[in-house]
Amino acid sequence: MAEMWISMGPQHPMTHGLWTLKVKVDGETITDADPELGYLHRSVEKMGERRKYFMNTTLTDRLCYASSTTWTHNYVLSVEELMNVEVPTRAQYIRTIMLEIQRLASHLMWAGAYMPDLGHITGALYFWRDRELFLNLLELPSGSRLLYNYIRIGGVKRDLPDGFEQKTERILSLFEQRLDEYADLFENSKIFRMRTEDVGKFTASQAMNMGITGPNLRGCGVKHDLRVEDTYEIYEEVDWNVSTREAGPGYSDCFSRYMVRIDEMRESVKIIRDCFKKMPKGPTMSSRVPVRASGEAFRRTEDSRGEALMYLVGDGSDRPYRWKIKSPMFTTISACPHYLKGYKVADIPAIMGSIDICIGETDK
Amino acid sequence: MTLFGLCKTMAELTADLFLVPLFNFQRNIFPPFSYPAGDLADWFASEGGIVTLAWVYAVNIAFAVGMTNLILVIHLERKIAARIQDRRGPMLSLRAFRELGEDLAGEAPTWRFKGNYSGIGIIQNMADGIKAITKELIIPNKADKFLFSMGPIIFISSSVFLLVLFPLSDRFAASAAPAGLMVIMAAFSIAPIGVLTSGWASNNKYSMIGGMRSAAQLMSYEIPLLLSMAGVFLLAGSYNPVDIVEQQREATWLFGLPMWNFIPQFIGFIVFMICILAEVERVPFDLPEAEAELVEGWTTEYSGIRYMLFLAAEYIRGFAGAAVATILFLGGWAGPWPVPPEIWFLLKVYLIIIFWIFIRWTVPRIRTDQILELGWKKLLPLSLINILIVIFMVEIYPYFADIISLPEVF
Repeated sequence: MAEMWISMGPQHPMTHGLWTLKVKVDGETITDADPELGYLHRSVEKMGERRKYFMNTTLTDRLCYASSTTWTHNYVLSVEELMNVEVPTRAQYIRTIMLEIQRLASHLMWAGAYMPDLGHITGALYFWRDRELFLNLLELPSGSRLLYNYIRIGGVKRDLPDGFEQKTERILSLFEQRLDEYADLFENSKIFRMRTEDVGKFTASQAMNMGITGPNLRGCGVKHDLRVEDTYEIYEEVDWNVSTREAGPGYSDCFSRYMVRIDEMRESVKIIRDCFKKMPKGPTMSSRVPVRASGEAFRRTEDSRGEALMYLVGDGSDRPYRWKIKSPMFTTISACPHYLKGYKVADIPAIMGSIDICIGETDK
Repeated sequence: MTLFGLCKTMAELTADLFLVPLFNFQRNIFPPFSYPAGDLADWFASEGGIVTLAWVYAVNIAFAVGMTNLILVIHLERKIAARIQDRRGPMLSLRAFRELGEDLAGEAPTWRFKGNYSGIGIIQNMADGIKAITKELIIPNKADKFLFSMGPIIFISSSVFLLVLFPLSDRFAASAAPAGLMVIMAAFSIAPIGVLTSGWASNNKYSMIGGMRSAAQLMSYEIPLLLSMAGVFLLAGSYNPVDIVEQQREATWLFGLPMWNFIPQFIGFIVFMICILAEVERVPFDLPEAEAELVEGWTTEYSGIRYMLFLAAEYIRGFAGAAVATILFLGGWAGPWPVPPEIWFLLKVYLIIIFWIFIRWTVPRIRTDQILELGWKKLLPLSLINILIVIFMVEIYPYFADIISLPEVF
């Protein structure tokens, strides 16, 4: 069969959002690929420059529909650095708990979206059933199920409600049982491994050159996690490990990237439990939160999908002068021709699903 | 009494009481223009007319039975899938009708959700059918219009044809062809032509890739499928479903237990089950319509009742495939006395279908190169080994048993 270009997207079951992947195929083998982004650009940065600092948390919530708290947290951290705000310890603990619950919800949404890519509809419903549990948890303190606006400059919106710890513990133990149950259905399943092993391979050095971060890099066996490397909140005081996996010496495939996220979910459970154990009493909001700021601030955090980065310039007014967002997925998707070439058409959803795409934050 | 005997009685009654008097009446009121009516009256009074009418009845009954089973299979798939996925599936209670009626009559809804709320979700099939019929039939602008309409006709008619080909028991059969199973497999292999035609005529790259995949898959799985069936044909010495089931009914094993074909030909049974799964294109072999990468595969551009009939035809092929598996390996309608043989047959068919439904909702889909590798490198040698085993049973062992007086085992 002659070579031809197939346009996958912007409306296509593979895309998980609004973007186009053009692939050149020779029969069923991919010979070239060309990602096209920008369908979902909402000019968040420019909008933010016209709003006051505390108003922008509503915008950052909408950066990624699957992982909104982590982005708000990144923005709040940068603003706090710009304004030199001290955050109370209890607020830091609450933030860590919320971040990890959000990471669980995000990874579960990814896992649920990944299974139909492989033709496994039941997996989607199982993982999304579990995501509902964590959305219920996030709803308790924040009051909403998708866009929380819970982490505020100087602390959090309000203290955790009564009985939150018991409810969380109940859900976490149920979730751990279910993860063990799913092991037989997914990672020990022969067909699942046939589809994911030795597919979409890239080495650690390639990943670093292409700017791939987060679970995708840790899937190559690189122990790089900003929660440890450039630590924030109370991740240093909590007992947990950075989870890494590798498919072979120094490279990753879809299966190792799947497994690293499953391991991360178990680690998140550990972090949440330890946070509840060590959490002190006290205020949840800083007593002094300024309105104006000047200078520069720059923070990077470990988002559910990789290294999120925000740069803020203040000119002494109550609005940011410049706001720059760096998204982890933008670089990862842009590098896709490197890890798509040579595989089959049927591998496209398996590979692009395994890197956990979120177009909201990619197009900003 | 057989199905055909029943149909013949019905045909005689219809002809005597209704058709012959009607056409005679027509001949008598318009004598100059009465030749067709008079000829028809004579024909329906003769043996040829009666037999033809009886065949029409038999085929229609078999068709109706098959279509009823189709609705049951779709409902079963939905309900079992829902239970696997921790859902409830299609549910509609009679209470809901009452509430709808109250709502339409302008009364205040009572909204009393009490008591047994399980119901008759099978009506969902009718809702789907009505929806599909009322949708627009879209033909893409640059599609080949003639072939675009021919593809569904080939695929659906060849699938519906399957329904009348297999017998439900030795007395309940619309067709009793001596080469019955060969005819069924021939009807099975018409479908790739329809698939390729629709895939090509849609003028869509996804459809074309899906059609190509389907053709490659069906062609490469046809060979191990037929080779695994060859063992059964050798053992029974016939292509006729009735003979094959009779052979299985008579064959006994240890302690007089029935030896259905899946015991001596276990390899053949496994190969056949995998191949028929690929032949009817169900998960994990549903590559031609892999919705993740090919949107809907070769059915992407079809809408309305055409798309719905594609889906229905796939279920019909599934039902027919399970029926063939039952006839070949599970003893067909053989079973203990109090349950009628037709029910035994349907029970076994539904057992296989439920097994397929469980597979469908628990495994992912495999890749094109992997499926072809499995077919050519593993299933084809295995089916040949199965034939060797059967040849040993049928020819070699009896030959030596005659010479050196071995006990008769097979």
